[in-house]
Amino acid sequence: MRPLEEQSHYEVLEIERGASREEVERAYRLGQATYADDSMAAYSVLGPDDLRAARERVELAYEVLSDPIGRERYDAGLAGHPDEAEPEPSEESLLLPLPPESEQAAPVRRRVETGIEGFEDVDDEAEGGTYDGARLRRARLVRGLEIAQIAAVTKINPSYLHCIEDERFDALPAPVYVRGFVTAYARCLGLQAESVALSYMERVQGRRQESRATRGRRA
Amino acid sequence: MIEHSSTSATPVASRATGPAPDAARMIAVGGGKGGVGKTFVTVNLAVAIAREGYDVVVVDGDLEGANVHTCFGIPAPPVSLADFVANRQEELTKLLVETGVPNLRLIAGTHGNLGSAQPGHFQRVRLLSRLRQLPADLVLIDLGAGTQPAVMDYFLVGDDGVVVFSPEPTSVENAYAFLRAAFYRRMRLAMLTHSVRGLATQAMDQRNERGIRRPADLLREIESLDPSEGARFAQAVRSFRPRLLVNEVRTADEIKLGFSVRSVCRKYFGIDAEYLGYVNHDAAVRQSVVARRPLVDFHPGCDAAVYLRRIARKVSRSLGAPGPAAEEAP
Repeated sequence: MRPLEEQSHYEVLEIERGASREEVERAYRLGQATYADDSMAAYSVLGPDDLRAARERVELAYEVLSDPIGRERYDAGLAGHPDEAEPEPSEESLLLPLPPESEQAAPVRRRVETGIEGFEDVDDEAEGGTYDGARLRRARLVRGLEIAQIAAVTKINPSYLHCIEDERFDALPAPVYVRGFVTAYARCLGLQAESVALSYMERVQGRRQESRATRGRRA
Repeated sequence: MIEHSSTSATPVASRATGPAPDAARMIAVGGGKGGVGKTFVTVNLAVAIAREGYDVVVVDGDLEGANVHTCFGIPAPPVSLADFVANRQEELTKLLVETGVPNLRLIAGTHGNLGSAQPGHFQRVRLLSRLRQLPADLVLIDLGAGTQPAVMDYFLVGDDGVVVFSPEPTSVENAYAFLRAAFYRRMRLAMLTHSVRGLATQAMDQRNERGIRRPADLLREIESLDPSEGARFAQAVRSFRPRLLVNEVRTADEIKLGFSVRSVCRKYFGIDAEYLGYVNHDAAVRQSVVARRPLVDFHPGCDAAVYLRRIARKVSRSLGAPGPAAEEAP
Protein backbone atom coordinates (compact mmCIF):
# COMPACT_ATOMS: atom_id res chain seq x y z
CA MET A 1 0.00 0.00 0.00
CA ARG A 2 2.08 2.87 -1.31
CA PRO A 3 1.09 6.38 -2.31
CA LEU A 4 0.76 6.97 -6.04
CA GLU A 5 3.97 8.98 -6.30
CA GLU A 6 5.92 5.98 -5.00
CA GLN A 7 4.33 3.40 -7.31
CA SER A 8 6.19 1.95 -10.28
CA HIS A 9 4.92 2.50 -13.82
CA TYR A 10 3.57 -1.04 -13.83
CA GLU A 11 1.68 -0.45 -10.59
CA VAL A 12 0.29 2.82 -11.93
CA LEU A 13 -1.09 1.09 -15.03
CA GLU A 14 -2.01 -1.98 -12.94
CA ILE A 15 -0.32 -4.41 -15.27
CA GLU A 16 2.18 -7.22 -14.89
CA ARG A 17 5.86 -6.73 -15.67
CA GLY A 18 5.48 -8.92 -18.76
CA ALA A 19 2.39 -7.10 -20.08
CA SER A 20 2.05 -6.98 -23.87
CA ARG A 21 1.95 -3.77 -25.88
CA GLU A 22 -1.80 -4.26 -26.24
CA GLU A 23 -2.26 -4.56 -22.48
CA VAL A 24 -0.27 -1.36 -21.97
CA GLU A 25 -2.55 0.43 -24.45
CA ARG A 26 -5.65 -0.89 -22.77
CA ALA A 27 -4.44 0.03 -19.30
CA TYR A 28 -3.52 3.50 -20.50
CA ARG A 29 -6.97 4.12 -21.93
CA LEU A 30 -8.59 2.89 -18.75
CA GLY A 31 -6.32 5.16 -16.66
CA GLN A 32 -7.20 8.16 -18.83
CA ALA A 33 -10.92 7.47 -18.45
CA THR A 34 -10.71 6.69 -14.73
CA TYR A 35 -8.90 9.92 -13.81
CA ALA A 36 -10.57 12.29 -16.30
CA ASP A 37 -12.09 15.44 -14.80
CA ASP A 38 -15.61 14.17 -15.42
CA SER A 39 -14.91 10.60 -14.30
CA MET A 40 -17.85 9.02 -12.48
CA ALA A 41 -15.48 6.60 -10.77
CA ALA A 42 -13.33 9.30 -9.19
CA TYR A 43 -15.24 12.55 -8.78
CA SER A 44 -16.63 11.80 -5.32
CA VAL A 45 -13.34 10.66 -3.82
CA LEU A 46 -10.60 12.60 -5.61
CA GLY A 47 -10.18 16.37 -5.96
CA PRO A 48 -8.93 18.18 -9.09
CA ASP A 49 -5.31 18.09 -7.86
CA ASP A 50 -5.45 14.35 -7.19
CA LEU A 51 -6.96 13.75 -10.62
CA ARG A 52 -4.31 15.84 -12.35
CA ALA A 53 -1.54 14.05 -10.46
CA ALA A 54 -3.03 10.66 -11.36
CA ARG A 55 -3.30 11.58 -15.04
CA GLU A 56 0.30 12.80 -15.11
CA ARG A 57 1.49 9.55 -13.58
CA VAL A 58 -0.58 7.53 -16.08
CA GLU A 59 0.82 9.58 -18.98
CA LEU A 60 4.38 9.15 -17.74
CA ALA A 61 3.93 5.41 -17.23
CA TYR A 62 2.50 5.09 -20.74
CA GLU A 63 5.28 7.15 -22.32
CA VAL A 64 7.89 4.85 -20.85
CA LEU A 65 6.16 1.48 -21.18
CA SER A 66 4.79 2.01 -24.68
CA ASP A 67 8.27 2.62 -26.02
CA PRO A 68 10.31 -0.60 -26.35
CA ILE A 69 13.65 1.11 -25.70
CA GLY A 70 12.36 3.26 -22.86
CA ARG A 71 10.71 0.22 -21.29
CA GLU A 72 13.88 -1.83 -21.56
CA ARG A 73 15.86 0.88 -19.81
CA TYR A 74 13.18 1.21 -17.16
CA ASP A 75 13.05 -2.55 -16.59
CA ALA A 76 16.83 -2.57 -16.20
CA GLY A 77 16.41 0.09 -13.51
CA LEU A 78 13.85 -2.07 -11.72
CA ALA A 79 16.02 -5.20 -11.97
CA GLY A 80 16.72 -6.63 -8.58
CA HIS A 81 13.24 -5.68 -7.46
CA PRO A 82 11.21 -8.32 -9.29
CA ASP A 83 8.13 -7.72 -7.20
CA GLU A 84 7.31 -4.10 -6.58
CA ALA A 85 4.58 -4.87 -4.12
CA GLU A 86 6.33 -7.30 -1.77
CA PRO A 87 8.29 -6.58 0.31
CA GLU A 88 8.02 -2.83 0.80
CA PRO A 89 10.83 -1.34 -1.29
CA SER A 90 13.86 0.53 -0.09
CA GLU A 91 14.27 4.23 -0.75
CA GLU A 92 16.50 3.77 -3.80
CA SER A 93 14.10 1.49 -5.62
CA LEU A 94 11.55 4.26 -5.47
CA LEU A 95 13.73 6.45 -7.69
CA LEU A 96 12.03 5.78 -10.97
CA PRO A 97 14.25 5.93 -14.05
CA LEU A 98 13.34 8.92 -16.23
CA PRO A 99 12.74 8.50 -19.94
CA PRO A 100 15.37 10.03 -22.22
CA GLU A 101 14.67 13.65 -23.21
CA SER A 102 13.76 12.70 -26.75
CA GLU A 103 10.91 10.60 -25.36
CA GLN A 104 9.44 13.21 -23.06
CA ALA A 105 7.33 14.72 -25.82
CA ALA A 106 3.55 14.50 -25.81
CA PRO A 107 2.46 10.86 -25.65
CA VAL A 108 1.18 9.09 -28.71
CA ARG A 109 -2.49 8.33 -28.27
CA ARG A 110 -2.89 5.34 -30.50
CA ARG A 111 -6.41 4.00 -30.59
CA VAL A 112 -6.43 0.24 -30.61
CA GLU A 113 -9.79 -1.29 -29.97
CA THR A 114 -9.46 -4.41 -27.93
CA GLY A 115 -11.71 -6.36 -25.65
CA ILE A 116 -12.55 -5.53 -22.09
CA GLU A 117 -9.90 -7.16 -19.98
CA GLY A 118 -11.11 -9.90 -17.70
CA PHE A 119 -14.45 -10.44 -19.36
CA GLU A 120 -13.39 -12.39 -22.41
CA ASP A 121 -15.09 -15.39 -20.82
CA VAL A 122 -18.43 -13.59 -21.07
CA ASP A 123 -18.30 -13.88 -24.84
CA ASP A 124 -20.67 -16.37 -26.34
CA GLU A 125 -18.80 -17.56 -29.39
CA ALA A 126 -17.58 -20.81 -27.84
CA GLU A 127 -21.14 -21.79 -26.98
CA GLY A 128 -22.32 -22.41 -30.55
CA GLY A 129 -26.05 -22.23 -31.18
CA THR A 130 -28.12 -19.44 -32.63
CA TYR A 131 -26.83 -15.92 -33.11
CA ASP A 132 -29.68 -13.58 -32.23
CA GLY A 133 -29.66 -9.81 -31.76
CA ALA A 134 -29.07 -10.00 -28.02
CA ARG A 135 -26.05 -12.21 -28.55
CA LEU A 136 -24.58 -9.79 -31.06
CA ARG A 137 -25.08 -6.99 -28.54
CA ARG A 138 -23.35 -9.00 -25.83
CA ALA A 139 -20.45 -9.73 -28.16
CA ARG A 140 -20.19 -6.00 -28.94
CA LEU A 141 -20.33 -4.90 -25.31
CA VAL A 142 -17.77 -7.42 -24.16
CA ARG A 143 -15.39 -5.91 -26.70
CA GLY A 144 -15.98 -2.47 -25.23
CA LEU A 145 -17.55 -1.14 -28.42
CA GLU A 146 -20.45 1.28 -28.87
CA ILE A 147 -22.87 1.22 -31.82
CA ALA A 148 -21.34 4.45 -33.17
CA GLN A 149 -17.92 2.80 -33.41
CA ILE A 150 -19.34 -0.16 -35.34
CA ALA A 151 -21.19 2.27 -37.62
CA ALA A 152 -18.00 4.24 -38.27
CA VAL A 153 -16.14 1.12 -39.36
CA THR A 154 -18.89 -0.64 -41.31
CA LYS A 155 -20.58 2.50 -42.71
CA ILE A 156 -23.92 1.00 -41.71
CA ASN A 157 -26.56 3.41 -40.46
CA PRO A 158 -26.54 3.18 -36.61
CA SER A 159 -30.33 2.88 -36.52
CA TYR A 160 -30.06 -0.32 -38.61
CA LEU A 161 -27.48 -1.68 -36.19
CA HIS A 162 -29.87 -0.98 -33.31
CA CYS A 163 -32.66 -2.72 -35.24
CA ILE A 164 -30.41 -5.75 -35.82
CA GLU A 165 -29.65 -6.01 -32.10
CA ASP A 166 -33.26 -5.44 -31.08
CA GLU A 167 -34.53 -7.77 -33.83
CA ARG A 168 -36.92 -5.17 -35.16
CA PHE A 169 -37.02 -6.89 -38.52
CA ASP A 170 -39.89 -4.75 -39.82
CA ALA A 171 -37.70 -1.66 -39.65
CA LEU A 172 -34.88 -3.28 -41.64
CA PRO A 173 -34.51 -3.26 -45.44
CA ALA A 174 -34.77 -6.34 -47.69
CA PRO A 175 -33.09 -9.55 -46.38
CA VAL A 176 -30.27 -9.32 -48.89
CA TYR A 177 -29.19 -6.04 -47.29
CA VAL A 178 -29.67 -7.35 -43.76
CA ARG A 179 -27.40 -10.29 -44.57
CA GLY A 180 -24.75 -7.84 -45.74
CA PHE A 181 -25.15 -5.71 -42.61
CA VAL A 182 -24.93 -8.66 -40.25
CA THR A 183 -21.90 -10.05 -42.09
CA ALA A 184 -20.11 -6.70 -41.85
CA TYR A 185 -21.13 -6.25 -38.19
CA ALA A 186 -19.93 -9.75 -37.23
CA ARG A 187 -16.67 -9.27 -39.12
CA CYS A 188 -16.14 -5.99 -37.28
CA LEU A 189 -16.48 -7.85 -33.98
CA GLY A 190 -14.03 -10.49 -35.14
CA LEU A 191 -16.69 -13.22 -35.19
CA GLN A 192 -17.06 -15.90 -37.85
CA ALA A 193 -19.07 -13.63 -40.12
CA GLU A 194 -20.57 -16.21 -42.46
CA SER A 195 -21.90 -18.53 -39.78
CA VAL A 196 -23.21 -15.60 -37.73
CA ALA A 197 -25.05 -14.20 -40.77
CA LEU A 198 -26.45 -17.62 -41.62
CA SER A 199 -27.74 -18.10 -38.09
CA TYR A 200 -29.20 -14.60 -37.87
CA MET A 201 -30.89 -14.82 -41.28
CA GLU A 202 -32.62 -18.02 -40.21
CA ARG A 203 -34.30 -15.95 -37.49
CA VAL A 204 -35.24 -13.26 -40.00
CA GLN A 205 -36.75 -15.84 -42.37
CA GLY A 206 -38.55 -17.61 -39.52
CA ARG A 207 -40.14 -14.37 -38.39
CA ARG A 208 -41.18 -13.50 -41.96
CA GLN A 209 -42.84 -16.87 -42.39
CA GLU A 210 -44.64 -16.43 -39.07
CA SER A 211 -46.01 -13.03 -40.02
CA ARG A 212 -47.03 -14.31 -43.48
CA ALA A 213 -48.94 -17.16 -41.83
CA THR A 214 -50.61 -14.73 -39.41
CA ARG A 215 -51.64 -12.48 -42.28
CA GLY A 216 -52.98 -15.50 -44.17
CA ARG A 217 -55.11 -16.57 -41.20
CA ARG A 218 -56.49 -13.02 -40.84
CA ALA A 219 -57.32 -12.89 -44.55
CA MET B 1 -12.54 -12.71 -0.86
CA ILE B 2 -12.59 -11.74 2.79
CA GLU B 3 -10.40 -14.02 4.79
CA HIS B 4 -10.67 -14.31 8.50
CA SER B 5 -7.47 -13.38 10.23
CA SER B 6 -6.71 -14.89 13.57
CA THR B 7 -5.90 -11.39 14.74
CA SER B 8 -9.53 -10.31 14.70
CA ALA B 9 -10.38 -9.12 18.14
CA THR B 10 -14.13 -8.94 18.49
CA PRO B 11 -16.52 -11.83 18.66
CA VAL B 12 -18.08 -10.98 15.29
CA ALA B 13 -14.84 -11.22 13.40
CA SER B 14 -13.09 -13.82 15.49
CA ARG B 15 -13.06 -17.35 14.22
CA ALA B 16 -9.50 -18.23 15.07
CA THR B 17 -9.69 -21.64 13.47
CA GLY B 18 -11.68 -20.55 10.41
CA PRO B 19 -14.85 -22.19 9.19
CA ALA B 20 -15.28 -25.93 9.63
CA PRO B 21 -14.68 -27.85 6.40
CA ASP B 22 -18.38 -28.63 6.04
CA ALA B 23 -19.53 -25.12 7.02
CA ALA B 24 -21.68 -23.26 4.54
CA ARG B 25 -19.92 -20.61 2.50
CA MET B 26 -21.35 -17.17 3.25
CA ILE B 27 -21.60 -14.36 0.76
CA ALA B 28 -23.10 -11.00 1.71
CA VAL B 29 -24.46 -8.66 -0.93
CA GLY B 30 -24.43 -4.95 -0.03
CA GLY B 31 -23.82 -1.64 -1.70
CA GLY B 32 -24.80 1.30 0.45
CA LYS B 33 -27.49 2.78 -1.73
CA GLY B 34 -31.06 1.61 -1.90
CA GLY B 35 -32.57 0.71 -5.26
CA VAL B 36 -29.38 -0.41 -7.01
CA GLY B 37 -30.57 -4.00 -7.30
CA LYS B 38 -29.01 -5.74 -4.29
CA THR B 39 -32.08 -7.89 -3.70
CA PHE B 40 -32.53 -8.56 -7.41
CA VAL B 41 -28.90 -9.68 -7.73
CA THR B 42 -28.99 -11.78 -4.54
CA VAL B 43 -32.17 -13.60 -5.51
CA ASN B 44 -31.10 -14.33 -9.06
CA LEU B 45 -27.60 -15.47 -8.11
CA ALA B 46 -29.19 -17.73 -5.49
CA VAL B 47 -31.56 -19.25 -8.06
CA ALA B 48 -28.84 -19.66 -10.69
CA ILE B 49 -26.47 -21.34 -8.23
CA ALA B 50 -29.25 -23.58 -6.87
CA ARG B 51 -30.04 -24.58 -10.48
CA GLU B 52 -26.41 -25.67 -10.80
CA GLY B 53 -27.19 -28.23 -8.12
CA TYR B 54 -25.87 -26.52 -4.98
CA ASP B 55 -27.90 -26.33 -1.78
CA VAL B 56 -28.48 -22.63 -1.25
CA VAL B 57 -30.11 -20.59 1.51
CA VAL B 58 -30.92 -16.96 0.86
CA VAL B 59 -31.26 -14.79 3.97
CA ASP B 60 -33.16 -11.52 3.95
CA GLY B 61 -30.83 -9.43 6.10
CA ASP B 62 -32.75 -6.25 5.44
CA LEU B 63 -34.97 -6.41 8.48
CA GLU B 64 -36.39 -2.94 7.95
CA GLY B 65 -37.31 -3.44 4.31
CA ALA B 66 -37.61 -7.20 4.00
CA ASN B 67 -38.98 -8.25 0.62
CA VAL B 68 -36.97 -11.21 -0.67
CA HIS B 69 -40.03 -13.46 -0.26
CA THR B 70 -41.91 -11.22 -2.71
CA CYS B 71 -39.24 -11.82 -5.37
CA PHE B 72 -40.18 -15.52 -5.21
CA GLY B 73 -43.89 -14.77 -5.33
CA ILE B 74 -44.52 -16.25 -1.91
CA PRO B 75 -46.47 -14.52 0.88
CA ALA B 76 -44.65 -13.20 3.94
CA PRO B 77 -43.69 -16.40 5.79
CA PRO B 78 -45.14 -16.92 9.27
CA VAL B 79 -41.61 -17.37 10.64
CA SER B 80 -38.67 -15.07 10.01
CA LEU B 81 -35.39 -13.74 11.38
CA ALA B 82 -37.51 -11.49 13.60
CA ASP B 83 -38.40 -14.64 15.59
CA PHE B 84 -34.73 -15.40 16.13
CA VAL B 85 -33.96 -11.82 17.09
CA ALA B 86 -36.86 -11.79 19.57
CA ASN B 87 -35.65 -15.13 21.02
CA ARG B 88 -38.88 -16.84 20.02
CA GLN B 89 -37.04 -19.37 17.88
CA GLU B 90 -33.50 -20.55 18.55
CA GLU B 91 -33.25 -23.00 15.66
CA LEU B 92 -32.51 -21.28 12.35
CA THR B 93 -33.40 -24.45 10.47
CA LYS B 94 -36.99 -23.98 11.67
CA LEU B 95 -37.08 -20.62 9.94
CA LEU B 96 -36.26 -22.09 6.54
CA VAL B 97 -39.10 -21.88 4.04
CA GLU B 98 -39.33 -23.32 0.53
CA THR B 99 -39.02 -20.87 -2.35
CA GLY B 100 -40.49 -23.05 -5.07
CA VAL B 101 -37.02 -23.39 -6.61
CA PRO B 102 -35.36 -26.80 -6.06
CA ASN B 103 -32.35 -26.67 -3.68
CA LEU B 104 -33.15 -23.12 -2.61
CA ARG B 105 -34.68 -22.11 0.72
CA LEU B 106 -35.27 -18.77 2.32
CA ILE B 107 -34.97 -17.26 5.76
CA ALA B 108 -37.27 -14.27 5.54
CA GLY B 109 -36.82 -11.02 7.38
CA THR B 110 -40.37 -9.86 7.77
CA HIS B 111 -41.34 -6.81 9.75
CA GLY B 112 -42.16 -8.68 12.95
CA ASN B 113 -41.61 -5.93 15.44
CA LEU B 114 -40.49 -2.60 14.06
CA GLY B 115 -39.49 -1.48 17.54
CA SER B 116 -36.76 -4.10 17.77
CA ALA B 117 -36.12 -4.78 14.11
CA GLN B 118 -32.33 -4.69 14.19
CA PRO B 119 -30.56 -7.23 16.38
CA GLY B 120 -27.95 -5.94 18.80
CA HIS B 121 -24.28 -6.75 18.53
CA PHE B 122 -24.38 -10.03 20.46
CA GLN B 123 -27.49 -11.19 18.66
CA ARG B 124 -25.66 -10.57 15.38
CA VAL B 125 -22.72 -12.64 16.60
CA ARG B 126 -25.08 -15.47 17.55
CA LEU B 127 -26.97 -15.18 14.27
CA LEU B 128 -23.89 -15.18 12.09
CA SER B 129 -22.37 -18.23 13.73
CA ARG B 130 -25.67 -20.09 13.37
CA LEU B 131 -26.01 -19.10 9.71
CA ARG B 132 -22.71 -20.74 8.95
CA GLN B 133 -23.95 -23.97 10.51
CA LEU B 134 -26.99 -24.17 8.22
CA PRO B 135 -27.13 -27.37 6.18
CA ALA B 136 -26.23 -25.76 2.84
CA ASP B 137 -23.36 -25.25 0.41
CA LEU B 138 -23.95 -21.53 0.24
CA VAL B 139 -25.70 -18.89 2.33
CA LEU B 140 -26.38 -15.65 0.46
CA ILE B 141 -27.30 -12.65 2.61
CA ASP B 142 -29.16 -9.71 1.13
CA LEU B 143 -28.12 -6.63 3.12
CA GLY B 144 -30.12 -3.49 3.69
CA ALA B 145 -29.00 -0.06 2.50
CA GLY B 146 -26.68 2.12 4.54
CA THR B 147 -23.38 1.64 6.32
CA GLN B 148 -24.46 1.15 9.92
CA PRO B 149 -22.50 -1.39 12.02
CA ALA B 150 -25.26 -4.00 11.72
CA VAL B 151 -24.96 -4.04 7.92
CA MET B 152 -21.16 -3.93 8.04
CA ASP B 153 -20.89 -6.90 10.41
CA TYR B 154 -22.83 -9.11 8.02
CA PHE B 155 -20.70 -7.89 5.14
CA LEU B 156 -17.40 -8.45 6.92
CA VAL B 157 -18.10 -11.84 8.39
CA GLY B 158 -18.94 -13.41 5.03
CA ASP B 159 -16.38 -15.33 3.03
CA ASP B 160 -17.08 -12.94 0.20
CA GLY B 161 -18.65 -9.51 0.18
CA VAL B 162 -20.24 -8.31 -3.03
CA VAL B 163 -20.78 -4.58 -3.52
CA VAL B 164 -23.53 -3.78 -6.03
CA PHE B 165 -23.77 -0.37 -7.66
CA SER B 166 -25.30 1.10 -10.77
CA PRO B 167 -23.56 3.46 -13.21
CA GLU B 168 -24.87 6.62 -11.58
CA PRO B 169 -22.86 9.16 -9.58
CA THR B 170 -24.99 8.79 -6.45
CA SER B 171 -24.71 5.03 -6.50
CA VAL B 172 -20.94 5.08 -7.08
CA GLU B 173 -20.52 7.62 -4.29
CA ASN B 174 -22.47 5.44 -1.87
CA ALA B 175 -20.53 2.36 -2.96
CA TYR B 176 -17.30 4.11 -1.97
CA ALA B 177 -18.86 5.16 1.35
CA PHE B 178 -19.84 1.53 1.88
CA LEU B 179 -16.36 0.23 1.00
CA ARG B 180 -14.74 2.86 3.20
CA ALA B 181 -16.97 2.01 6.17
CA ALA B 182 -16.34 -1.72 5.66
CA PHE B 183 -12.60 -1.13 5.35
CA TYR B 184 -12.19 0.93 8.50
CA ARG B 185 -14.50 -1.29 10.53
CA ARG B 186 -12.53 -4.33 9.47
CA MET B 187 -9.24 -2.62 10.28
CA ARG B 188 -10.52 -1.53 13.68
CA LEU B 189 -11.61 -5.08 14.46
CA ALA B 190 -8.24 -6.47 13.38
CA MET B 191 -6.20 -4.22 15.67
CA LEU B 192 -5.36 -5.46 19.14
CA THR B 193 -4.32 -2.40 21.09
CA HIS B 194 -6.73 0.19 22.36
CA SER B 195 -4.72 3.18 21.11
CA VAL B 196 -4.41 1.84 17.56
CA ARG B 197 -8.10 1.04 17.48
CA GLY B 198 -8.71 4.60 18.54
CA LEU B 199 -6.65 5.76 15.56
CA ALA B 200 -8.72 3.63 13.19
CA THR B 201 -11.88 5.06 14.70
CA GLN B 202 -10.60 8.59 14.15
CA ALA B 203 -9.71 7.75 10.55
CA MET B 204 -13.34 6.84 9.89
CA ASP B 205 -14.12 10.53 10.20
CA GLN B 206 -12.92 11.98 6.90
CA ARG B 207 -12.25 15.36 8.51
CA ASN B 208 -10.22 13.97 11.38
CA GLU B 209 -7.74 16.31 13.05
CA ARG B 210 -4.73 14.09 12.42
CA GLY B 211 -5.09 14.52 8.66
CA ILE B 212 -5.61 10.80 8.01
CA ARG B 213 -7.28 10.81 4.61
CA ARG B 214 -6.34 7.45 3.22
CA PRO B 215 -5.37 4.01 4.48
CA ALA B 216 -1.71 4.77 3.61
CA ASP B 217 -1.82 7.74 6.05
CA LEU B 218 -3.35 5.52 8.72
CA LEU B 219 -0.70 2.85 8.17
CA ARG B 220 2.06 5.44 8.67
CA GLU B 221 0.45 6.64 11.91
CA ILE B 222 0.01 3.10 13.19
CA GLU B 223 3.59 2.14 12.31
CA SER B 224 4.94 5.09 14.23
CA LEU B 225 2.82 4.11 17.23
CA ASP B 226 3.33 0.33 17.16
CA PRO B 227 5.26 -1.44 14.35
CA SER B 228 3.76 -4.86 15.11
CA GLU B 229 0.27 -3.42 14.80
CA GLY B 230 1.42 -1.82 11.54
CA ALA B 231 2.34 -5.24 10.15
CA ARG B 232 -1.02 -6.62 11.33
CA PHE B 233 -2.79 -3.72 9.65
CA ALA B 234 -0.97 -4.30 6.34
CA GLN B 235 -1.91 -7.99 6.48
CA ALA B 236 -5.56 -7.17 7.19
CA VAL B 237 -5.59 -4.75 4.24
CA ARG B 238 -4.27 -7.44 1.91
CA SER B 239 -6.94 -9.91 3.01
CA PHE B 240 -9.81 -7.48 2.41
CA ARG B 241 -11.04 -8.29 -1.11
CA PRO B 242 -14.54 -7.01 -1.79
CA ARG B 243 -16.07 -7.95 -5.14
CA LEU B 244 -17.68 -5.34 -7.37
CA LEU B 245 -20.80 -5.86 -9.44
CA VAL B 246 -22.18 -3.16 -11.75
CA ASN B 247 -25.89 -3.46 -12.32
CA GLU B 248 -28.00 -1.93 -15.09
CA VAL B 249 -25.21 -1.11 -17.54
CA ARG B 250 -26.28 0.29 -20.89
CA THR B 251 -23.01 1.00 -22.70
CA ALA B 252 -19.52 -0.39 -23.01
CA ASP B 253 -18.23 2.63 -21.06
CA GLU B 254 -20.50 1.73 -18.17
CA ILE B 255 -19.04 -1.77 -18.17
CA LYS B 256 -15.60 -0.22 -17.83
CA LEU B 257 -16.77 1.73 -14.78
CA GLY B 258 -16.20 -1.42 -12.72
CA PHE B 259 -12.52 -1.42 -13.73
CA SER B 260 -12.25 2.29 -12.96
CA VAL B 261 -13.71 1.86 -9.48
CA ARG B 262 -11.36 -1.06 -8.94
CA SER B 263 -8.46 1.16 -10.00
CA VAL B 264 -9.42 3.96 -7.58
CA CYS B 265 -9.82 1.39 -4.78
CA ARG B 266 -6.33 0.06 -5.44
CA LYS B 267 -4.52 3.33 -5.98
CA TYR B 268 -6.08 5.44 -3.27
CA PHE B 269 -7.47 3.05 -0.67
CA GLY B 270 -5.06 0.15 -1.05
CA ILE B 271 -8.12 -2.10 -1.37
CA ASP B 272 -7.63 -4.96 -3.81
CA ALA B 273 -11.21 -5.19 -5.04
CA GLU B 274 -12.19 -7.73 -7.68
CA TYR B 275 -14.55 -6.86 -10.53
CA LEU B 276 -16.98 -9.74 -10.39
CA GLY B 277 -19.08 -8.74 -13.38
CA TYR B 278 -21.90 -6.66 -14.74
CA VAL B 279 -25.58 -7.06 -15.51
CA ASN B 280 -27.04 -5.01 -18.32
CA HIS B 281 -30.17 -2.91 -18.28
CA ASP B 282 -32.97 -5.09 -19.57
CA ALA B 283 -36.70 -4.45 -19.83
CA ALA B 284 -37.27 -8.08 -18.85
CA VAL B 285 -36.01 -7.27 -15.34
CA ARG B 286 -38.99 -5.09 -14.57
CA GLN B 287 -41.32 -7.68 -16.06
CA SER B 288 -39.91 -10.34 -13.73
CA VAL B 289 -40.19 -8.04 -10.71
CA VAL B 290 -43.83 -7.28 -11.51
CA ALA B 291 -44.50 -10.98 -12.08
CA ARG B 292 -42.75 -11.74 -8.74
CA ARG B 293 -40.57 -14.35 -10.41
CA PRO B 294 -36.75 -14.53 -10.38
CA LEU B 295 -35.50 -13.31 -13.76
CA VAL B 296 -33.24 -16.29 -14.47
CA ASP B 297 -36.34 -18.52 -14.30
CA PHE B 298 -38.90 -16.11 -15.72
CA HIS B 299 -36.93 -15.03 -18.77
CA PRO B 300 -33.85 -17.29 -18.89
CA GLY B 301 -32.83 -16.27 -22.41
CA CYS B 302 -32.69 -12.50 -21.89
CA ASP B 303 -29.39 -10.62 -21.73
CA ALA B 304 -29.52 -9.88 -18.02
CA ALA B 305 -30.23 -13.54 -17.16
CA VAL B 306 -27.26 -14.65 -19.29
CA TYR B 307 -24.95 -12.26 -17.40
CA LEU B 308 -26.37 -13.27 -14.02
CA ARG B 309 -25.79 -16.96 -14.72
CA ARG B 310 -22.20 -16.21 -15.72
CA ILE B 311 -21.57 -14.33 -12.49
CA ALA B 312 -23.23 -17.22 -10.64
CA ARG B 313 -20.80 -19.67 -12.28
CA LYS B 314 -17.89 -17.48 -11.18
CA VAL B 315 -19.21 -17.52 -7.62
CA SER B 316 -20.01 -21.24 -7.57
CA ARG B 317 -16.51 -22.12 -8.75
CA SER B 318 -15.37 -21.42 -5.19
CA LEU B 319 -17.86 -23.93 -3.77
CA GLY B 320 -16.30 -27.10 -5.16
CA ALA B 321 -18.48 -29.82 -6.65
CA PRO B 322 -22.20 -29.68 -5.88
CA GLY B 323 -23.50 -32.02 -3.18
CA PRO B 324 -26.03 -34.83 -3.57
CA ALA B 325 -28.68 -32.23 -4.40
CA ALA B 326 -27.13 -32.02 -7.86
CA GLU B 327 -28.69 -35.31 -8.79
CA GLU B 328 -32.12 -33.98 -7.94
CA ALA B 329 -31.63 -30.76 -9.86
CA PRO B 330 -33.60 -30.50 -13.12
